[in-house]
Amino acid sequence: MIDALIGGLLAVLQWKAFSFMLIGIGVGFWVGLLPGIGGLTSLALMLPFIYNMTPVEAFAFLLGMHSVTATTGDITSILFGVPGEGSAAATVLDGHAMAKKGEAGRALGAALMSSLVGAVIGALALALSIPVMRPLVLTFGAPELFTLAIMGIAFISSLSGQGGRGLVRGFLAGLLGLLLSLVGLDPQAAIERFTFGQLYLWDGVALVPFIIGLFAIPEIIDLAVRGTSIAGDLPQGNLSSGVWEGIKDTFRHFWLTVRCSLAGTFIGFMPGLGGSVAQWVAYGHAAQSARDAKERSGFGKGDVRGVLGPGAANNSKEGGSLIPTVAFGIPGSAAMAILLGAFLIQGIRPGLDMLDKHLTLTFSMVWTMVIANIITVAISLFFLNQLAKLTLVRGSILIPFILFLAFIGAYTEHNHLGDLITLLVFGLLGYLMIRCGWPRAPLVLGFVLGNIAEINFYISTTRYGITWLLRPAVLILIVLTLLAILYPLIRFPKRKATMAEDAV
Amino acid sequence: MKARMDIRFFLALGTVLLAGYALYSSIDWPLRTALFPRVIGIPLLLLALTEMILSAVGVEKEREGHAVDFELTTDVDPVIARKRTVAILGWTLGFLALIVVIGFPIAVPLFVFLYLKLVGKEGWLLTLILTALSWLFIEGLFNRLLHIPFPEGWIFSLLG
Repeated sequence: MIDALIGGLLAVLQWKAFSFMLIGIGVGFWVGLLPGIGGLTSLALMLPFIYNMTPVEAFAFLLGMHSVTATTGDITSILFGVPGEGSAAATVLDGHAMAKKGEAGRALGAALMSSLVGAVIGALALALSIPVMRPLVLTFGAPELFTLAIMGIAFISSLSGQGGRGLVRGFLAGLLGLLLSLVGLDPQAAIERFTFGQLYLWDGVALVPFIIGLFAIPEIIDLAVRGTSIAGDLPQGNLSSGVWEGIKDTFRHFWLTVRCSLAGTFIGFMPGLGGSVAQWVAYGHAAQSARDAKERSGFGKGDVRGVLGPGAANNSKEGGSLIPTVAFGIPGSAAMAILLGAFLIQGIRPGLDMLDKHLTLTFSMVWTMVIANIITVAISLFFLNQLAKLTLVRGSILIPFILFLAFIGAYTEHNHLGDLITLLVFGLLGYLMIRCGWPRAPLVLGFVLGNIAEINFYISTTRYGITWLLRPAVLILIVLTLLAILYPLIRFPKRKATMAEDAV
Repeated sequence: MKARMDIRFFLALGTVLLAGYALYSSIDWPLRTALFPRVIGIPLLLLALTEMILSAVGVEKEREGHAVDFELTTDVDPVIARKRTVAILGWTLGFLALIVVIGFPIAVPLFVFLYLKLVGKEGWLLTLILTALSWLFIEGLFNRLLHIPFPEGWIFSLLG
């Protein structure tokens, strides 16, 4: 095992593999920055280039590229409020709010360092967890996966607002997201649902225009209304010290970063849940770490913990999703499904061989993820000051470019004008939700999990009838869901009472 | 108590109608297609009705219901804010119209040029440099390098 660990490192450090990794990092860096050109697309586009590479070189190239897109996707989210990747949307909430407060450097520093910590934890999980996780994943059937999806939505819905009214709005948004996910052909009977006779809607509401619209359009409107730069007329601190402060924040809230990384790893590990879910669950957990209602109200307004959680989970989920791909040949995400194609191109069969015959290759993947992230963070730190200065550029100069990026990003989903209409419709919905105090996070999570929830709900009811509700793992998850719903109602009034007593 | 018909009320009303439509549509579907929409639609309808009634009677304690999300700026005079909101929505829709009529490759630099000149009131040099940059970006990266199939504008299709 130790031999394979060292062998994996040496294999990645060979000049050819290392050079391919650097090229992959370069491509991934820009792909992550540009909204709409997703890591998924770039993985698919780069697949034909690996035919003449050795397995170690091929995975250094592809994984190097893929690990970096998750990190740099946070940069556009923070600076412009436009998610560079669908999986970087949660960072917009607090990261962009920090940029507006003149703390872009700090937000970027926190995002990058937490991404690095997340990537290392994800890679460690990949290295250590295969024998431990195998029995766990085998106990998770359709009923457990459905309950897990509902738990995720309940978790974020209950934490997205304050008091009973906040709870109502959180669940309204979550359910609305679930309903929107039902648009398109029914996965069981292929019957059209809510398509209004439009062929474009047969595949459902497009994810990228949905997310870009929901997050970017309200930010653009707000920037135009303020008539200033993103950071406004606030005095700018020293950006270098801001970046350093963000790095220190990662270690100030180290356990939160670790917990969110572990959550990301676990979600990445569960086939089908995916990266868009990991970031929101981590965001919900970060919001939960607030000590009282007043502190929690700071989330969404520029709390650094709202950047650390999603940043860490976003990267750790990559290691997590590699576990079932490598060990069982079951891709943990769409990106991993493409990577499975790379295995086939290289003539390698995922499964037991990867833990035995090709163990060095497995460890080379672990090392690639760690080294690629270290290099990215180091390179990014050199450019952060320049990048953060973009928040000082006049809004009237930035707006046409942000709008152009949002439109192009949305259009690249299906290369269809319907993508642009989706962008505007959900942009308007996002704006209305903010004006009315409805949280957007549960809407996105409901939308992302809708399909998984429906399929697993259908399988559960047809296979087990009502008895699936009595399965031990389901019961545990239901209790956790109820706790998640009741927790804010129990916790905050109690704290309020304690604070009132203290004041007396 | 006087009923309030503000934007919150109308957003909740819209959701009530949406949930109602979802449930109504599911009547004609077979059970396996209709099952999940109903499981989602019923609680959505009930919660949206609750939110609509609460919005109408105006029950909202200080800070209650406050979302973990960003808040729109309140520093600008509401009349100016409304004017600017309408203006940026107009520009956004105008951009979409430009794309439909003349296609992405021309619409993008034209939009950047017009916005910088008319709204930003920027100087000619900066406007022209940024317009050229936007054209290079769309033509070089998206068109030539990534070969994204941009549809030609409606006007060009008409001209044949």
